[in-house]
Amino acid sequence: MSPAQAGSVDLSVRLGPLRLEHPLLDASGTFDLLEYARRYDGDYFADFPYSAYVPKTVTADARTGNPAPRVTETPAGMINAIGLENPGIERWIAGLPEWARLRQPVIVSVGGNTPEQYAAVVAALEAHMASAPADEVPRIEGYELNVSCPNVSSGLQIGADPAATAGVVGACRPLTTRFLLAKLTPNVGDVTLIARAAVDAGADALSLVNTFKAMVLDAQTLRPFLGNRTGGLCGPAIKPIALRMVAEVAQALPGVPVVGMGGVMSGLDALEFIACGATAVAVGAANFTALEAPQRILSELRDELNARGLASPAAARGLALGA
Amino acid sequence: MSQTADTAHEHPSLWAESSHCRVAAVLHYGAFTALELIAPAVARRAAPGQFVMVTVPGAGFLLRRPLSLFTVRGDRVGLLVEARGSGSERLTRLEVGQSVDIAGPLGSAFPTRGVTNALLVGGGIGSAPLQFVADDLAAAGAGVTAAFGFRDFRAARAAGAFSIDRLWVATEDGSVGRAGTVLHILADLDVSSATTVYACGPTPMIAAVQHWTLAEGLHGYASLEAHMACGTGSCHGCVVDTARGKLRVCSEGPVFPLDEVRP
Repeated sequence: MSPAQAGSVDLSVRLGPLRLEHPLLDASGTFDLLEYARRYDGDYFADFPYSAYVPKTVTADARTGNPAPRVTETPAGMINAIGLENPGIERWIAGLPEWARLRQPVIVSVGGNTPEQYAAVVAALEAHMASAPADEVPRIEGYELNVSCPNVSSGLQIGADPAATAGVVGACRPLTTRFLLAKLTPNVGDVTLIARAAVDAGADALSLVNTFKAMVLDAQTLRPFLGNRTGGLCGPAIKPIALRMVAEVAQALPGVPVVGMGGVMSGLDALEFIACGATAVAVGAANFTALEAPQRILSELRDELNARGLASPAAARGLALGA
Repeated sequence: MSQTADTAHEHPSLWAESSHCRVAAVLHYGAFTALELIAPAVARRAAPGQFVMVTVPGAGFLLRRPLSLFTVRGDRVGLLVEARGSGSERLTRLEVGQSVDIAGPLGSAFPTRGVTNALLVGGGIGSAPLQFVADDLAAAGAGVTAAFGFRDFRAARAAGAFSIDRLWVATEDGSVGRAGTVLHILADLDVSSATTVYACGPTPMIAAVQHWTLAEGLHGYASLEAHMACGTGSCHGCVVDTARGKLRVCSEGPVFPLDEVRP
């Protein structure tokens, strides 16, 4: 079932030091490997559809998340306010042997409210990997710092402030030689300022965009629908804004690899992010629409490249940029 | 894998994701619509209490909608739909011969093994999974009594979609059956201590049934509902409070021990 087949298209990409079979990753929090594997007829680890696995964000301490309701559909999209529910890094590490045999590289999504909390997660994982038997740990080859979390002192998103973003990246950089991504929030005026701050502080690459802060009302009560009042908007509705932001960052920081995401539902959507300068593309809400979404999107991407005579994703990269 | 309208994927299937399931029957009961889909791969694996994620036809819908399995007969899967929002409303307008995509069966099931006496307690659209429970128990020779509550006359027409021998109905406006809620029916029932309770309905009903079973010394199960995005355990959008902490309705649920839920 190897995704790369037929035609002359070579789907493989290099994302920093990572050699990926193809450009598609899952967006953190939208795809749970073990949930898929435990009800799959075959060996899901052999058939894992993404080229790298980005699990749901893990934080230093366990979090119970936000009150219900946490999700609902919106025009051409959805809104969610999960609240980074996760078991905390200690229990998360204890669960690693369950999926240690995943072939693909893993990029661990890290959250926190202070630089120290992010650093604690990275330090705990580095310590674990230095001591644990190799067959009990997946191929953790990078970290994605989810800087969309609220800053504990200001309440604003860390990723809305260049200095706060640099603080988080700077706290983690000395702790690891692995690939370090900063996942940027779109809830900013000029995303390139944050992007530059993250790279200057040591990020190897950038992923964007996270969700747009948004609100949905209960039509009956005219009160906020979500238990958290506000949530993050994603899905096709945000794709044009995400494309614009990816293009801005790719233009401002040529040479810095970008993982583009925001409403990718089809192979053409993925190709558009690549044309805007993305090296890899993450699939989020589409995972909720069909279990076979990643396989379909990948096969469509191959067809889209083929149809244009583009031999690889790299050949399409940046076509939308420049004059 | 069967080829009858149930798409055979070229690689192993995830929860029997079934494309283009033909709508074989549509029956309208007031505010509710009963659909029968040809979905052999789902039917083969299904257990009472489980649900499917249904793709809403048309361009305007992103997320699939979770629907309990109402009936499973042969290669047919029955769903009971109440038009609540634009998505479910669209599903009630499906016609025979059209097709929909579904994924399932998903979630936990109502344990039925060894049960000799069952009391099914349903509220509104929450009654839907209890027909499958009744069929399963009746096939095993268990005694089944059902008490369903509906808002009003129009909603109570849903009772016509059920085939359960001992089915008591209450309506809040008193237009059909007992005036009041299912709790008024329960108060009048002579229930043996060996009865297992199966409840599904709005949160206040689950709370009341939980209280009642505690007082009566009965044990049972509740099926909960929640707003879902993925339906398959990935997004953590549908969590509810339980005695074991926050759990996902789609993955650890929808069926939980009645004494475990915190409605």
